[in-house]
Amino acid sequence: MKKRIIVIGGGVAGMQTALRLAEQGAAVLLVEKESELGGKLRHWHVLFPSFTPASEVLTELRRRINASDIEVLTGAEAVALAPKSVTLRDGRELACDSVVLCSGFTLFDASIKEEYGYGIYDNVFTSVDLERMFREGRVAKADGTRPRRIAFLHCVGSRDEKVCQQHCSKVCCITGVKQAMEIKRLFPEADVFNFYMDIRMFGPGYEEMYREAQQRYNIHFVRGRISEASPTIDGRVQIKAEDTLTGRPLRMSVDMLILLVGMRSNDDLAALAASAGLDRAPSGFMKPRDLFLDNVRSNVGGIFYAGAVSAPKSIGETLNEGIAAADAAARYAGL
Amino acid sequence: MNFFAPFCIPFIIGAAVMFLTLAGKWATWLWQLPHADKMRILRGLPTRHTLAAIWEVICESLLHRRIFRINPLLGYMHMSLAFGWFLLIAVGWIETVAYLGFRYVPLQAHVFFKYFSTGLAHKPVFDFLMDLLLLFVLSGVALAWFKRLRSRMLGLRRTTKHVWGDRLALSALWFIFPARLVAESTTCALYGGGSFLTGSLGEWLSAHVGLLPLMNLESAAWWFYSSCLGIFFVALPFSRYMHIFTEIPLIFLRHYGLRSGEKESSFDHFQIEACSRCGICIDPCQLQSVLNVHTVQSVYFLRDRRYGMLRRETADDCLMCGRCAERCPVGIDLNTLRLNSRDKIRNLPDERRYGYLTGLDRSSGEGKVGYFAGCMTLLTPRTLQAMERIFEAAGEEVWWADREGGVCCGRPLKLSGETDAARRMMHYNTELFRKHGITTLVTSCPICLKVFREDYDLKGVEILHHSEYILRLIRSGRICPEHAATRFTYHDPCELGRGSGIYDEPRAVIEAIGELLEPASTRENALCCGSSVANTAISDDGQLRIARSVCDELEATGAEVIVTACPLCKKALGRGTKEPVRDLAEIVAESLPRG
Amino acid sequence: MAINFGYTISKPRAINLDRNNLRRSDEILHEMPELQTCIGCGACTAVCTAGNLTEFNFRKVHTLVRRGEYQGAYEEMNKCMLCGKCRLVCPRGINTRGVVLLIKRKLGDL
Repeated sequence: MKKRIIVIGGGVAGMQTALRLAEQGAAVLLVEKESELGGKLRHWHVLFPSFTPASEVLTELRRRINASDIEVLTGAEAVALAPKSVTLRDGRELACDSVVLCSGFTLFDASIKEEYGYGIYDNVFTSVDLERMFREGRVAKADGTRPRRIAFLHCVGSRDEKVCQQHCSKVCCITGVKQAMEIKRLFPEADVFNFYMDIRMFGPGYEEMYREAQQRYNIHFVRGRISEASPTIDGRVQIKAEDTLTGRPLRMSVDMLILLVGMRSNDDLAALAASAGLDRAPSGFMKPRDLFLDNVRSNVGGIFYAGAVSAPKSIGETLNEGIAAADAAARYAGL
Repeated sequence: MNFFAPFCIPFIIGAAVMFLTLAGKWATWLWQLPHADKMRILRGLPTRHTLAAIWEVICESLLHRRIFRINPLLGYMHMSLAFGWFLLIAVGWIETVAYLGFRYVPLQAHVFFKYFSTGLAHKPVFDFLMDLLLLFVLSGVALAWFKRLRSRMLGLRRTTKHVWGDRLALSALWFIFPARLVAESTTCALYGGGSFLTGSLGEWLSAHVGLLPLMNLESAAWWFYSSCLGIFFVALPFSRYMHIFTEIPLIFLRHYGLRSGEKESSFDHFQIEACSRCGICIDPCQLQSVLNVHTVQSVYFLRDRRYGMLRRETADDCLMCGRCAERCPVGIDLNTLRLNSRDKIRNLPDERRYGYLTGLDRSSGEGKVGYFAGCMTLLTPRTLQAMERIFEAAGEEVWWADREGGVCCGRPLKLSGETDAARRMMHYNTELFRKHGITTLVTSCPICLKVFREDYDLKGVEILHHSEYILRLIRSGRICPEHAATRFTYHDPCELGRGSGIYDEPRAVIEAIGELLEPASTRENALCCGSSVANTAISDDGQLRIARSVCDELEATGAEVIVTACPLCKKALGRGTKEPVRDLAEIVAESLPRG
Repeated sequence: MAINFGYTISKPRAINLDRNNLRRSDEILHEMPELQTCIGCGACTAVCTAGNLTEFNFRKVHTLVRRGEYQGAYEEMNKCMLCGKCRLVCPRGINTRGVVLLIKRKLGDL
């Protein structure tokens, strides 16, 4: 009798975990609440720092899943879990030998930061909207014309006590750099401004990319948080910030304002955590048993974490964690 | 007939000290009143205001009607002590007259009449009446004891923590009436008389206690009774019991139109010392109920200010939401007193301040209707956009005072105590409004509204909150929002509701659009969002925790949308809930027919 | 003294932390430790009602005060209208209005 392990969440983390578990000889059930696998990566265009198309990664992961004997259950939402069982929204209770929670994150709703005008003014977008435009191959202002001046605002819904998100979402800095470069590739004549608080280039090749964005792409980095956006008569967006490096107020009109939205914990984590007695960090993400030696293990034996369910992470880190979590879960189940 | 016994000395000294101190205090306070206030009193004396004041004194100082409304048991407790004691004195007076006819008798003879009247023929009617009244007061004393143990039964979750002077006076007060009971009973035991209370207890005593011990006991009991009275009277002017004699002139002065203002004045003494430290203001305070802050409530603020030990932190850490003032049985103007304390602490006249305002004008547009968004509204662009749509739909020509950034209305400065600096903002904005010749001034910010109405000299300009303005547009048919099935709940902003008395207009607007569900605490009793500009001491975490507690109540209504009519409340509540929080203008603009 | 607090980009003299007396700065931070959490994003200064009308930079004033540069801070803070917009946007949840009052109280006698 094969050991049965349930992986909750069919995004990058869940797919990688499932694949590794299958390799180790487990009977894997991959539970996904959407109608298809892929998670948030389905909406992404290219990945930092290499501009690798997201679809490339996703297609390969899906191909491997199809080639394996992993059982995939889509349109199924886990509402409660225990080390030996998972309960679905429709009431089904699935028995297993261990569980890996890979349910990812939620994107911050930019309309909460009302002063930035998302959902109020036509030419304010989020980084997710921009990825969609990249994928559709049509980046344009709301009236369909080419943008000539674009501003990115970092840290929207991250490091902000006013929206109860104190943590750093980690990937927005590099995403901002990447998207600014993509914009410049599409519109070489456009002026691009990135408004940042701190630039955190933590990964391999990131700092080099940042430097390239400044040097080769002539992207302007302004240190200051945009405080207000307002419409101009001609439908553009006027933004106000302090240029903190000169200590003077700065105002400018842009054709598009892109808000780099952060990652926050899923709302349903509270109920899931309560059902199994799992600890959560103050940020709302799941808290691993130990940040060094047990970073994919929960405080409950038999329940493991991979990916952004435990903190904001990049795709590369998530893929690594999938393997680590699968190994830990397999060992627990006695494989 | 001799009306003196040595045991009367404590009482006589106490009463003398009390009346002299009282006279001194009142004379000083009245003397120090500004000339205008003195004139108000003189002009008011021969008018109906005096009669109204007398009636209020009867209702409040004696019967404690307002406390009855808060909790009947608590009301009874206060009434039995105040009205009961008053009747004991009044009926006691009549009793002396009945026994002795109209002649001068010293004060102690009235008070200790039972002791001095042993040689006279008894009048059972008075014995009965006096016993009944004593029982009435004793029931109040019993409740007061009980309240110390189980305050919740009397509708108070928390009671006042007292200073030692209050404790001394309180202990004396607690013992006055039991002591009187024992003293009168021993006299009855020795000389007969008394009714169902003192008479019965006297009979029991004479049956169980020997004559000599009884005589010693009688002497001791009267000494004790007199000492309790003496101690209480000496402590009274310096303790919370000063309220007994301060509330009365306060009621009169209030009827003559005297008010506290942004600068401290002599009238404040009447308000401050009229506080009985009943503690009714503690429970409604959200700093107490949500944040466990137990040192800043109005009762403690007034106490500290009265004894000259007010700390800046106590004066500053208050939302000035007005929930306590709404419940204060004495009707003390708590917010204004706190405001003028802040003024005392912080205000520094500086003529050079805000020199940069000279010649500024960032307004735009033209029209008889002026719109002052307010600083905070600039951070809630949905509200601004909605107002623009509403103006457009109504075909209103609008002068925009501050869309490109204006000058603050001055209320936040005023609330912090920098009242002179605030005047400079008020002066600037008044000039600006006059210059553009508007006849109506609409604002979306209740903070601005309150200061425009109360501190600006804008004769000829009608000042409206946008809720009032929108309701007018709807009623006059200038805009026609569509009614739908959406369920709304409404959060009363402090400055709009309790501050400006606007409760019905926003509700009428909501009911024109959808269904209105009221939260548990609403209207005069509505909670504060926690982000009030009046509190410069509260932490971000404190603001958030209060917002969450308010949102819990709003969410419990089952409404789909939380509506408020203040940009600050909107921002504050938005942090405490995942439900949508909208300004009144937004929901109106959204329900206007498209195109 | 010329009121030109903190406004030229290249001040003629360095902030000398060997010489600056940080006692008052420490007192201020002791009363309002959260001020130390400022990430210098400038949102307060960008929304500032007063800063929109005159040269007033709240972030710069309190930062200089924290470095022991007290000269002129009181006069600068006196430009503030205490409207509270900055408090509404501060991502660190700093009680900015409290900071203005605190700095004025601690440095009013300079």
